[in-house]
Amino acid sequence: MPKLEQNQPTVTMPSSLEGMKGGGIKKRRKKYRDPQALPPVVNTIVSVLLGILAITCIFPFIYVIIISFTSEESIVRNGFQLIPKEWSLDAYHYLWSMKEQLFRSYGVTIFITIVGTIISVFMITFYAYAISRPQFKYRKFFTFLAFFTMLFSGGLVPTYIVITQFLHLKDTIWALILPLSMNAFYIIIMRTFFLKSVSESILESARIDGASELRIFFQIIFPLSLPGIATIALFSTLGYWNDWFTALLYIDNPNLVPLQSLLMKIEANLEFMRQNMDIANMQSSLFNTIPQESAKMAMVVIATLPIAVSYPFFQKYFISGLTIGGVKE
Amino acid sequence: MKKKLGILLALVLSIGTILSACSSKEDSAAEKSGKNGQPYEIKWYTVGTPQKDTDKVFAEVNKYLKKKINATVKMTQIDWGDWAQKSQVMINSGEPFDIIFTNGTDYVQNAQKGAFYAIDDMLNNEGKALKQTIDPALLEGIKIDGKTYGVPTNKEAARQSVYTFNKRLVDKYHFDITKVKTLEDLEPMLKVIKEKEPKITPMATFKAYLPFDYIFNGEMPFGIPFEGDRDHVVNPFATDVAMQTYKTMHSYYKAGYLKEDAATSKDSWPMDVENWFVRMGDSQPYADLLWSRSAKYDVVSVPAEQPVTINDSVSGSIQAISATSKNPKKAMEFLTLLNTDEYLRNLVDKGIEGVHYKKNSDGTIEDLPARIDRYNLPTYSLGNHFILYLYKNDPKDKWEKFKEFNESATAAPTLGFHFNSDPVRSELAAITNISKEFYPALATGSVDPESYLPKFNKKLKEAGLDKVLKEIQKQFDDWKKTQK
Repeated sequence: MPKLEQNQPTVTMPSSLEGMKGGGIKKRRKKYRDPQALPPVVNTIVSVLLGILAITCIFPFIYVIIISFTSEESIVRNGFQLIPKEWSLDAYHYLWSMKEQLFRSYGVTIFITIVGTIISVFMITFYAYAISRPQFKYRKFFTFLAFFTMLFSGGLVPTYIVITQFLHLKDTIWALILPLSMNAFYIIIMRTFFLKSVSESILESARIDGASELRIFFQIIFPLSLPGIATIALFSTLGYWNDWFTALLYIDNPNLVPLQSLLMKIEANLEFMRQNMDIANMQSSLFNTIPQESAKMAMVVIATLPIAVSYPFFQKYFISGLTIGGVKE
Repeated sequence: MKKKLGILLALVLSIGTILSACSSKEDSAAEKSGKNGQPYEIKWYTVGTPQKDTDKVFAEVNKYLKKKINATVKMTQIDWGDWAQKSQVMINSGEPFDIIFTNGTDYVQNAQKGAFYAIDDMLNNEGKALKQTIDPALLEGIKIDGKTYGVPTNKEAARQSVYTFNKRLVDKYHFDITKVKTLEDLEPMLKVIKEKEPKITPMATFKAYLPFDYIFNGEMPFGIPFEGDRDHVVNPFATDVAMQTYKTMHSYYKAGYLKEDAATSKDSWPMDVENWFVRMGDSQPYADLLWSRSAKYDVVSVPAEQPVTINDSVSGSIQAISATSKNPKKAMEFLTLLNTDEYLRNLVDKGIEGVHYKKNSDGTIEDLPARIDRYNLPTYSLGNHFILYLYKNDPKDKWEKFKEFNESATAAPTLGFHFNSDPVRSELAAITNISKEFYPALATGSVDPESYLPKFNKKLKEAGLDKVLKEIQKQFDDWKKTQK
């Protein structure tokens, strides 16, 4: 990989692409003093700036990791420190002691992320493909239907009513999966993607060969659109992994609480305790289960690590996918 | 071709329906119950971290309830931090359930909105026993426009703010804390602590106490003085008392008795960290004992005010029957039983005897580990305290003292008055913002009241303070006319 890309702080799609291009050009023409290359001074300044940006992005997370290894005593006495006076593994011991709930939540999160992403990708691409084909008579209507929800959403309470009272999803795992599975914005993205990247002539040739509509979709459209599909799959994976709000609304059963929601619960409980010291002091055992600062940070670490670690794999796929050419006409 | 594409789309739309259909089975059973001999299932939402043994305990509860009132209860706990948002959405969406925990302004607003069932009639029928048990001050205090919308927890009905001291330090320096009546009286002690105990912060951050009956809360500039003219709403921050108190607080702050970040800090000063000398809190009989127990060292308190019954103290914990309940009568029967039946009340609160607690020969109880680990319910939210078993280390006269405490309390001028803020909503929003900016700094002594208090009051005036005061006064007068 070119040098510049490693400095790339956040992995948003367009900038990392640029990073690649820039790096590539630089590499090739290094010896010839390319008129388009940045002068060395500017190059250094830009690198330093990007480096600083990268550090500001990554620093909080490193700090979180350090705090998670700090002893509680040390936090109370000296506050958060970069190099704590006392190190300790207590926070992770604590997490180990609640491993039952933790593993459950991990399982729930992984399940909803995988199943959710699959369902979501199929629903979105089906819908988007249908409204991208000019032969489909009602496509304007269905496009508008999707588009309309982007402008006007039902709001929290009506959504809640639909999900709990019409669909009866409350306290089931589907309540975590289905509400997030359709996304009008992704539908529009995919529709545009299908329109732009899949040419009608390919489909026509398939039809001439006698392929059915479903076969066309799975054997021609799907492989051709992989870059676009990978993008929305990534987005919905992140969406499912980070989602805590739907769980807050629809889940009462502790066995169905996903990881992020568990984190939020702990955080919210701490906040509640702060504001209601009277209750906490009167019945002290009630809040015993709430971890202290370092344990909180340790939870953030274990909740974020898997997704952070798997991101590079995704990203690689994601960029190469995008750069694969579609059809040349 | 077109058709096939249409089918593809239809497929998408139907996936959702099919998936959701999987989970919609249990609905019809609940609806027809209660009539043809089937026990009615009461859905009860209450606050607290969900517990592992809830099902086990409620199997016992249901066995008992089926015999007594031909009903079962499904209790669901919603975690502390989720409570406010989740319960609000549930109420707003009109979800069918029977009983829900509520308190304070949430109770008032939801009752005004019509989310709760008025239980006055039922209190004379199904809830007769309940009405006799609960302190009349509580039932009177939570009335909104003359109607009762919930069952208050029968416990301390009054509030008493106290100064609480770290007993070890009091003994060490031989302080005479019985003489402490006001904030100013703390000065000599704070000085000693500051000089001799470098590891101790003399004052755990608290907001200075002002003797007013607040319409909203201590932060908002609307209150009626406890002493003197009890008929008129004033701005407490414009009074001499406020100036005097905040000046004292500011001198303490300058002397370093408080943490420097007192105004903005979110530090909750947990009792079990022994790094403070004096703090302020709301007391109840034998509170020192409870605090000492949770702190694991001794604390001792002196009152900063006489016990007074205010709206906040009576509405601290209420179980309300939802307006969406399909069988409010059964819900009422259950609540009555919960508040009057010693066996049921203790079963719901402490769990199963022999599993979650054990009973000693003298009738007192002790928690077993399972009570803490697997069935730890917030006692204050559930119901009548006076029929709870006493713990082994509880004073024998605990509940008598509670009753005495309640009887000794005086009623605040606005007890039972609930301001309807609709006419002055925008002014209130502006005032809230200003208060949030000034109040924490002033009340912790972080800024000089000589310059900031007038500035605060000026801004409040500009935001429409007078209009709101007038509106409150008008509603207050109207309300007083309806009282006998």
